[in-house]
Amino acid sequence: MTEYRWEDLHLGLKHSFSATFTEEMMQHFAALSGDINPLHVDADYAIAAGFPGPVVFGMMTSSLYSKLVGVYLPGKYALLQGIDIDFNSPCHAGDVLNVEGEIIFLSDAVRRLEVKATIRRENRKLVSKATIRVGLHG
Amino acid sequence: MDNLLSELQEIFRDVFDQEDLGLTRESNASTIEDWDSLAHVNLVTSIEKRYRIKFALGELQGLKNVGDMIDLIQVKLAQK
Repeated sequence: MTEYRWEDLHLGLKHSFSATFTEEMMQHFAALSGDINPLHVDADYAIAAGFPGPVVFGMMTSSLYSKLVGVYLPGKYALLQGIDIDFNSPCHAGDVLNVEGEIIFLSDAVRRLEVKATIRRENRKLVSKATIRVGLHG
Repeated sequence: MDNLLSELQEIFRDVFDQEDLGLTRESNASTIEDWDSLAHVNLVTSIEKRYRIKFALGELQGLKNVGDMIDLIQVKLAQK
């Protein structure tokens, strides 16, 4: 985990990591969120709907944006204050997801940073993109 | 209503999600419901982006109302 303080941050600062979800994780997410839509938890249904398998929940992939700011950018002292997300294409259990974020805005007056972030599959296909607004505590 | 006040009113309406919010130079955190610390951060960063200006740390602490903010924005715009 990084421990950036405000003075350490600058425009263009980047971090990235990779993650992969399993079908078991998707079942857990369905249980904790209550979203039991069959597109995400029923393989037969998802295949009949034209997908190669159950589609990972959009909000589950977006939990990687939480990790991006809470663990890396800025890390330990992060306070997630807002996020705008666009979903571009589906992903599935077993896909390697590459998460990248870069600081694109800093406000000294109120100590807020904004991170432009993307999640892409290994073939670079865009899964989602986000603008994340973050403060710092401590 | 002058242009800057009108433009700020649009920013305030967006930040507070209040389509009928009416802004005056006398408006402040006690006259606008939901103007808390996080809303303040959203307002300041929206203004910085809208006018491509930067406020310094502590520069906003002495402002009493929207009128003071407008005056400061005008100073910043004149310095560009």
